[in-house]
Order: sequence, then C-alpha cells, then structure tokens
Amino acid sequence: MAELPQRQTDIGPPHYEQFLPPVIKKNYGKWIYHEELGPGYMVHVAESGDRVWTVRVASPRLLSTDTIKEICDIADKHCDGYLRFTTRNNIEFMVDDESKVEPLMKELKEKGYMIGGIGSRISNVVHTQGWVHCHSAATDASGIVKALMDELHEYFTSKDLQARVRLAVACCVNMCGAVHCSDIAIVGVHKTPPRIEHERLRNLCEIPSTVASCPTSAISPDPQKKSVKIKLEKCMYCGNCYSVCPSMPIADPKNDGVAIVVGGKVSNMRSHPMFSKLAIPWLPNNPPRWPEVVDAVRKILDAYIADARKHERVGEWIERIGWEKFFKLTNLEFKLQHVDDFTFARETWRMAATFKW
Amino acid sequence: MGTKHKTPLLDDLEKGPFPSFVTEIKKAAEHSEYAQDLLGQLELSFKEKVTHWKHGGIVGVRGYGSGVIGRYSDVPEEFPGVAHFHTLRVNSPSGFFYSTKALREICEVWDKYGSGLTNMHGSTGDIILLGTKTENLEPVFAELSSRGWDLGGSGSAVRTPSCCVGQARCEWSNIDTMAITHDITHHYQDEMHRPAFPYKFKFKVAGCAIDCIASIARADMSIIGTWKGDIQIDQDEVKAYAAAGMDIQKEIVELCPTGCMSWDGSELKINNEDCNRCMHCIAKMAKALRPGPEKGATILLGSKAPIVTGALMSWVIVPFMKMEPPYEEFYDLVDRIWEWWDEYGKNRERIGELIERLGFPRFLKEVGIEPHPAMVKEPRRDPFFFWSEEDIEK
Amino acid sequence: MEREELKKIIYELVEKSMGKKKLKQSDILKKVSAEHGVDKGEVKAALRELMDAGKLIFTYFGGSYVEIPPKEE
Repeated sequence: MAELPQRQTDIGPPHYEQFLPPVIKKNYGKWIYHEELGPGYMVHVAESGDRVWTVRVASPRLLSTDTIKEICDIADKHCDGYLRFTTRNNIEFMVDDESKVEPLMKELKEKGYMIGGIGSRISNVVHTQGWVHCHSAATDASGIVKALMDELHEYFTSKDLQARVRLAVACCVNMCGAVHCSDIAIVGVHKTPPRIEHERLRNLCEIPSTVASCPTSAISPDPQKKSVKIKLEKCMYCGNCYSVCPSMPIADPKNDGVAIVVGGKVSNMRSHPMFSKLAIPWLPNNPPRWPEVVDAVRKILDAYIADARKHERVGEWIERIGWEKFFKLTNLEFKLQHVDDFTFARETWRMAATFKW
Repeated sequence: MGTKHKTPLLDDLEKGPFPSFVTEIKKAAEHSEYAQDLLGQLELSFKEKVTHWKHGGIVGVRGYGSGVIGRYSDVPEEFPGVAHFHTLRVNSPSGFFYSTKALREICEVWDKYGSGLTNMHGSTGDIILLGTKTENLEPVFAELSSRGWDLGGSGSAVRTPSCCVGQARCEWSNIDTMAITHDITHHYQDEMHRPAFPYKFKFKVAGCAIDCIASIARADMSIIGTWKGDIQIDQDEVKAYAAAGMDIQKEIVELCPTGCMSWDGSELKINNEDCNRCMHCIAKMAKALRPGPEKGATILLGSKAPIVTGALMSWVIVPFMKMEPPYEEFYDLVDRIWEWWDEYGKNRERIGELIERLGFPRFLKEVGIEPHPAMVKEPRRDPFFFWSEEDIEK
Repeated sequence: MEREELKKIIYELVEKSMGKKKLKQSDILKKVSAEHGVDKGEVKAALRELMDAGKLIFTYFGGSYVEIPPKEE
C-alpha cells in the first residue's frame, strides 16, 4: 500500500467560511427578509440589495458517492461550486441571480430530482439507520420513509397544508432521530422481552451495569448461573439492557413492529413545543412497503387536512379539538395501551368532568 | 458487479416518485463489494423482518474513543463484504455548507477505502461514512485528517454540535449560530474524542424560537437565540400584507399566544412587555416585522429521547445570555455543569435525568445559578421543600 | 510523580479491573487522583499517552470504557 499521509488529531471541523457561496459570505448577518416563491424555491434579500435564490430538493439521506458527485456537477455548473444540506437531509442549491434559477431547476427536474419541501407542507422525513446499519432496530427506517413519501410526495412538491407537517421515523425507542417531538412519527417497538444467553452473558456482560440498565427494575442477578434473570411481568420491552449487554437480544420478527405517535413539535410559534403522543400502539412490520403504516399515516393526515385551521400544527389542532375527538375523526381505536402507566402518567389523566361525546 | 444477489423486495422500493435509497446502494454496488453484500443482507432483513447487525464493540482509531461505530454482520459467511461494516462519523462544518471540491475529496477517500455509501447527514449532524473494514479505519482517518477533516463524537462524550443556518441565510437569527457551533466544537475537542462523561452530551444552537435544528428536543444543552426590546415594525409593509390578502386580525392578532397585539386596519400595535417572543407574527410577516434590538440566547438544559425513563425537552436554566466571543460566561457555565454531572451522574445517565433524580433546586444551588421565574411554568404545588442551614434561626 | 510511574499505576488499575468491572475514564481519574494525590489533569495526560501508544483503548458497550486491547483477533 502507498504511504499514508500524516494523521492529525483534534483539528476539529474545517471552518465553515471557506464553504460559503460568495453572496452568502458577503451578506452574512445582513439579511432582511425572505419570500417563498414556490414549494421548493425561495429568495432571501439582504440590506445591500443582494439576493440569493435557493432551490431545495429531496434526498433519501443514504447517498452514494456517485450521487454526491452528480450534485457537485450540478453545483459546479450553476452555483459556483457550493451547496448545502438542510437539517432534514434536503439538498439546497443557491444562486445569486434570478436568471440562473430557471436553468438550475430545469436540469434538476431533467435529472429526476424532486423539488419542494419549503413552507406549509411535508418536508423530508428525519429518520434513523434501521436494518441498513443498526443492531437494535425493531424495524427498518429507509424503507418506511420511501413507502410513505411515495404516497405523500405531492405534499412535498405541490400541495399546501395548513402548516408544516414534520414526519419522522425511528427504528427503535432510542430514537436517534428525535421522533418524540414530530407532527406524525413512526417508532419501532418490541412486544416481547429479551432472551438471556447465559453462556455468553457470563463472559461478555457486566452484571451490575446490566441490572442497572433496566428502568423498571425487572432485571436482577442470578448468582447460580453467574448471569441475570428477568421478571417478565415488569419488562416493558425498551431494549435498554440489550444496549448494555449484547447477550440479551430482544429482536423478535413476529412481534416487532411500529407505533405511531402524533402531535409533537419543536417550534415555539404560538404554542409551546409539544411531545408526540401515542395514536397507534402497534402495526406490523410488512416490508417492503408497510401498507398498514402508510394507510394509518394517510388517515391521520387526511383528518388533519379536513379539520385543522390555517397555521395550526397537528398538535395544536388536536389540542383544540381534544384527543377524544381526534380518535373519533381519525377512526382509530382507543386501547388500553393509550393510557399512560409510566413516568409522566399522572399528568396525562383527565382530572376534569368536561370532555366531548 | 452489482447483481450478486437477487433483491426482489428491495427492487420494489426503486419504483415510485420519491428518491430511492435502494437505487443509491445499487449505484455504489457497481464498484463496491461492501454495497453488493449490503444489498444482499438488507434483502434478507426485509424477508425475515429482523436486523442482521451485531453489537459494536472495540474498533476505533488510535487514541480516540469516538467517531467510529463498530458494526459486524451476524451472517458473515453469506455476506463477507459486510462482515465488518464500521461507520465513521466525520465532523461536518457548521451550517452544512460545502464546496464541491471538499465533497469530492471526501468521496474520493471513501471510494478508495469504504463502501461508497454515506448519510448526508446522520441524525446528530455528522457526515456518516457508512461501512468499512477494521484495517481501513486508520488509513481513512489519515487521509481525511491530513485534508483538514476530523472525526465527530460518539459514546459517552460531547457529540458533534450542530446548528440551524443562522445568520448565513436567515434574517431571524438572533445569534451567530454557525460561529458559536464552530467555537464550541473546537473548544471541546478532547471532550469529544476521549469519552469521559457518564453518557453523551449534545449541544445544538438555534437562531430563534422556531428552532429549525430541534435543539429543544434533542440537545442536552439547547442554545436558542432571542432578544430584548421592541419588535421592529414597518407599518407600510404590514399594510402591504393586508392588501395582498392576509387577514391580519385572524392570522396574526388572534393567533398571538399572549394577546399582546392589535390591528385597526391601518396600524399594528404590539405591547412588547407582554410578548413572549414566540416568532409567529415575525415568521408570517417577514417583511414587516423583525426581532428586537438586543440579541442573545436562552440556555436550556436536559432534553433526550425516551430511553430510559421517558422523553424530556430542555428547560430554561439561563433566561438570557449574550453569546459573543470568547464566550467566557458560557464555557464557565458548561464546565460547572459538567463538574456536577461528573460528581453525581451514574453510568448512562444524561444530565436531564440526573437533575430529575437529585432535584432542579439542588442543581441550581450547587452549580451556582440564581432561580428565576422563567425557569418554571408554575411554582411547585406541594409544601415539601428544603431549607439551608443559613435559613434556620438557631 | 514521574509520568512513567503514573502510567504504570493507571495501567495496573485497568489490568486489575479487567473482567470484573469496566472502568470509565472518570473512574480512573478520580481513583488515581485520590489515592496518589496527583492532579486529575496529570492523570488525564498520562492516560492519553497510554492511549496514543495503543497500550490502552476506549471500548463501547452502551457507554465508553477504558480497557486493555484484546490480543489479535
């Protein structure tokens, strides 16, 4: 092998300034307003009178170097060799003159890129690794996202909604994608307890930290086996023990599936940020297109579209109409699992005699 | 290359209008054995409805405890190309801006040593280089670091800080999110690369309360830009919005959460004393309204996903802090918080959980932060509170 | 204390602990600092030298630990 260059440590990321398009660098901190010109197209205006037009396209997040090189070609041709990614895995191409917008959008469309995602619509889906790369995944993430967005793509490219609807998919309750504050989110869940591989556990895992990992104290030492035991009735299948001890696998193809949670948001606009709450406790993993999951999301979205007011996020809509009406409008079944018996349970019970029939 | 395994289930996900991750893996499979066997193993997961990755473990680059996620296949005989499939987290530049030159360089290194697959970006905000063998980790690190790229955080360490686009391209940003993020990242290189904490610690920096980076939901420390002083109004532009069809009364005044606005058809009035700076009116009338003049940030602490005892959002610990270089007040605060966490935190206990366990008042007292009504939604309901020695008459 | 002596103390602490309790970096800093009256910063610097030389490594099992590297796989 050829000799390697000298490695360096603790140099940190390169300075962002070298990656800024000239019009951005020149007007940094001096922007005065922006306007949305289309579903995937906006202009920012600076004090100097300079403008920057941004065209946003979707990406599947999982990108080959081939595709990255292709978007580099596009950015070289139209955007002086600069581009950026958004926090939701979209790609943004920026130009400093209105005349450059049309040719850029034309080429993006010709190459099959999906333009959109700006404003009151569905933007790209924040998601985790799933079966592509994660050991604790209870479901896939990329597959669900693809199936979901094939169904809902018009809300990315053209159709307006009352407000932004943020979708997210997390392949287990670790929720690397911060699913817990999204308008509609899908999270992989287990329904059965971990299995203990006593022989392996003895060598591989530390008993005290395995015991300590359980939030419901379901795990205790088993001195005879030099292993641990589980009180099955206490386990709520979070999988935290498996993160600490690889000899407690919890994946169960027949019973793993997804839950759907709704009504979360991080924005402080109008109302406080909100957690997502349980809408559907379990749907099966049904690859490659998870039809039950896609249908359920569609049903919730359709109820929102039919009933929400302008500027109302999903969570604000549900708060206004009440959860009892949410279940009625969406036609989702209210089950025992919807009633909280965990950390925040008390705060969620209805301590009032007022509710809707 | 490319068609080593039959993948009927995955092939179905090449159909349909949304960009396909399967197509991406197939593109890489044209020149990468990793990607070929990834397709095969993923098809097996789709068929069996279960992951085929094993726990990580002990791979990394020399001297670091961060930046590499070890991953092994549990069916290596069938898919030798992904027997090792380790990920590198490369610290992204603030704001996710890139030159094509820089991106091409990263691609070149990754085509040479890895699967040719990436995430732009991972959930925390790193450039994710997805899948390589143990023996390639040092070469990738040497190639990348010699070109000015370093690894990001993983494990019980500072995780790669990230931010919204901020003042680079947003008129609402009250703080220079990209500069702050860059500074924090460089300030805490050792804490990022050599895990020394009870568990992970994430910083995220948002320019305003709209929080496009979701800092309040997924950062142990959320830095959210805000202001003091009056919202700046351009009455002519307000009228222009009305003339263009906006129902100012209904869409702005009536949706204001504090009821601090009024509109008589020609003038918009704001009682700024009652404004809680939620950003609704400013966001809906970008040309007419701008944040007030004195800029800074609200510092919030503690958010995390549900593992283990339920999800938390960050809550206010410093109502207002100027965020200007060299950020001494900020770093001093962070160091005091970490010292307290190091003293009392259990393994895998996030700072938010520790505060829940030991109590927010105790945290405030021991870290040396003055209580302020902005820190709570309401005072406690119960009469069970502690006093200090100095509060007691002897 | 001489740097080499400090490194030896740290290495032996990790070695003794292997298979019994996984040590976190902060466990080592606290213990060595308290038992030998050495500043935590100094312990940290010595530990870093051991890491950079590959004598000790970080491992990850739901948390980051300091361990002796395994013999060739």
